[in-house]
Amino acid sequence: MTCDSVARLIPLYFYGELMPEEEDRLEEHLHACAPCTREMERQRAMAAALDRRHTEVPPLLLGACRADLLAAIQGGAPRLFEPAKGPWTLFLEALAATLAGLNRYRTPVGAVALVAVGFFAARFTGAGLPASSLSPAGEVFSTVRSVEPDSSGRVQIAFDETRRRVVSGAAGDRDIQRLLLAAAREDNPAVRVESVDLLKSRADSGEVRDALLNAVARDSNAGVRLKALDGLKPLAGDSQVRKILAQVLLADDNPAVRMQVVDLLVSHRDDSVVGVLQNLVQKEDNNYVRLKCEKALKDMNASIGTF
Amino acid sequence: MDSLIRAAQRGDQDAFEQLVRAHDQSVLRLAMNLLRSPEDARDVYQEAFLRVYRNLDSFRFDCSFHTWLYRIVTNICLDRLRKRKVRKEESAVVETSDGPIDRMEVFEEESAHANPERAVWNRELNERIESALQDLTPRERMVFELRHYQGLRLRNIGEMLGTTEEAAKNCLFRATQKMRAVLGDCV
Ligand SMILES: [Zn+2]
Repeated sequence: MTCDSVARLIPLYFYGELMPEEEDRLEEHLHACAPCTREMERQRAMAAALDRRHTEVPPLLLGACRADLLAAIQGGAPRLFEPAKGPWTLFLEALAATLAGLNRYRTPVGAVALVAVGFFAARFTGAGLPASSLSPAGEVFSTVRSVEPDSSGRVQIAFDETRRRVVSGAAGDRDIQRLLLAAAREDNPAVRVESVDLLKSRADSGEVRDALLNAVARDSNAGVRLKALDGLKPLAGDSQVRKILAQVLLADDNPAVRMQVVDLLVSHRDDSVVGVLQNLVQKEDNNYVRLKCEKALKDMNASIGTF
Repeated sequence: MDSLIRAAQRGDQDAFEQLVRAHDQSVLRLAMNLLRSPEDARDVYQEAFLRVYRNLDSFRFDCSFHTWLYRIVTNICLDRLRKRKVRKEESAVVETSDGPIDRMEVFEEESAHANPERAVWNRELNERIESALQDLTPRERMVFELRHYQGLRLRNIGEMLGTTEEAAKNCLFRATQKMRAVLGDCV
């Protein structure tokens, strides 16, 4: 093997892409040749330098990408083989989705109109619907409640059938607000986001405040939790709100939510916030959140750790 | 994995989602490494998985799903790298609630924070490394990325890029030579 041919093989050798016999011959040459050994060292040094350049994916990016994709697909990205759907197909799909325990979004995320659909509308039928403007007889929706096969091979399906009604009124209207409070607990996250968004300017009402706290602590959708946090800003000094925020900070799995909670907590200083932040720094695995926390502690002249 | 793919091909959305989640981190890392821009990486992710969604029926199990997926992803990334070669590099500055920041500096500062003694060294060398990587052709850049950072075998890389193992070897060799010429005494 000549030094020239070795130079050509060094990168492949480094990446383990040589045949075993080529590898043996190259190693033999390296043992006997100092300049080629130095070349090999330079290859290793360069690879090590390049390893350090490796960029990490920002933690929030993956979640954002997944949400984009879901929205595009549920917003109707066409599949090539997709046949036109009749009412029966749609019903079967709804059935399958219910059985699989999936929450299919009935309106695309970001929909502006608040539409009361399904069981939620049914709950309000007897209870004095807002008189503001009421359109009668809309579409009929079915929600499957149970499916039971019997021994004769037949299937018994129980479903609620509800009519869509559309009501409109000012966001401050008492009846509209009651609907919004109910909508904040709907299955459809798009409805919850819109409702919480509309409610958030009215956190001075005890009922709304409780709904926002409930959303922050329990809603499965991070978008809803972020909107609710927004609404709690004026109440960031309230001790009960702060107690719940401190719990959320240590329990929430979404870094954006944790960042916003840190903002809310440090906007009003009290003795317990230092301890909560120190606690978070210890266990926080997201760099952005941890840096924010450390900065907040520094701003308060508190030490970063308890050690 | 095969049964998951078949379920997704039958239109099972849950299976499709699982399939995405099994592969999307490495796809995003690849796009981010190649394009160095969260926005571009996000676009690549969306375009790639929508193509997968629309064309899953045409996957015939004659290669691994990973290879099939990477054919799509590398195609999209190569397109973008080629277009970039033509137009001027976009600004890496983004507006945030804390004022404008340089995207890449955020990542670099973060790693500097984790390991302060590397900070100075990083800053100097990073520029050289970036310009060395930019000197590569899109294809050389891709082969190098897949071999060095993603740890794939050259034979597999050839399969993804629609070329031979031998051609992939040549690409890797040229990429290494060019980078050593630029980095030279730095390392
Ligand atoms: Zn030699």
